[in-house]
Amino acid sequence: MANDRKDLMQGTLELLILKTLARESMHGYGIVQRIHEAAEDLVKVEDGSLYPALYRMEERGWINSEWGVSENNRRAKFYKLTKAGQKQLASERANWERISRAVTKILLTT
Amino acid sequence: MKTELLRLVKHLDPRTIDRDVEEELHFHLEMLKSEHLQKGLSPTEATVRTSKRFGDLKKVKNQCVQIRKRSRPFQRFLKASLILVALIGLIITVSTDGRVSRIGNMLIMVAVSGRLLLYVRNLIPQSQQSTLSLFRDNSQTPLSR
Repeated sequence: MANDRKDLMQGTLELLILKTLARESMHGYGIVQRIHEAAEDLVKVEDGSLYPALYRMEERGWINSEWGVSENNRRAKFYKLTKAGQKQLASERANWERISRAVTKILLTT
Repeated sequence: MKTELLRLVKHLDPRTIDRDVEEELHFHLEMLKSEHLQKGLSPTEATVRTSKRFGDLKKVKNQCVQIRKRSRPFQRFLKASLILVALIGLIITVSTDGRVSRIGNMLIMVAVSGRLLLYVRNLIPQSQQSTLSLFRDNSQTPLSR
């Protein structure tokens, strides 16, 4: 049963969004799709949870948004990483790697 | 110039935030539904799967509107300015007598009224937010509209 857990750890969603937007600007649906594809369905992102995270990140100045036209000619809001967002990505990535190494070490020693 | 002014007026309107959030979420829901339809699901099944994968639409919308409202730079600037006006008014009232002191009182009143006005304006869209805009027709989910 424990193997079925796919929920993201607190704060991880922001890191995934930052990483996804580092390549190109995208709308919310595109971001979720890219995360699912990259994670090969190993983690579950509830689509709705993406938006409060995006809005908070925009509030902090890590991303900005503007309305544009989607691939199917619909009006959609596109998000883009800012310079502050790039710095945040580097910092969160380093933090994630540090935590990940620490947890792996603990698991190997017991 | 006119366009810039219109944009500013639009930006100040709390209803614009509501509409923008709704439009963005609806775009996502429609894309999700068409993804399920392309996989061969029936419209009903696609709607159910979409709702399940998206989560609580109303809750998400409310969260987004609240975040957007508090982060509006112009409103933050306005609130800070009102505090400044109130402080100047207070200093004038305390440190002067007679007519000048009355100006201080007036500034305080202007600041308090302005803050109240902003507070009331922020309450309006909350009472409108609802199911009304997302589920206008009870027989239809936002996905089937």
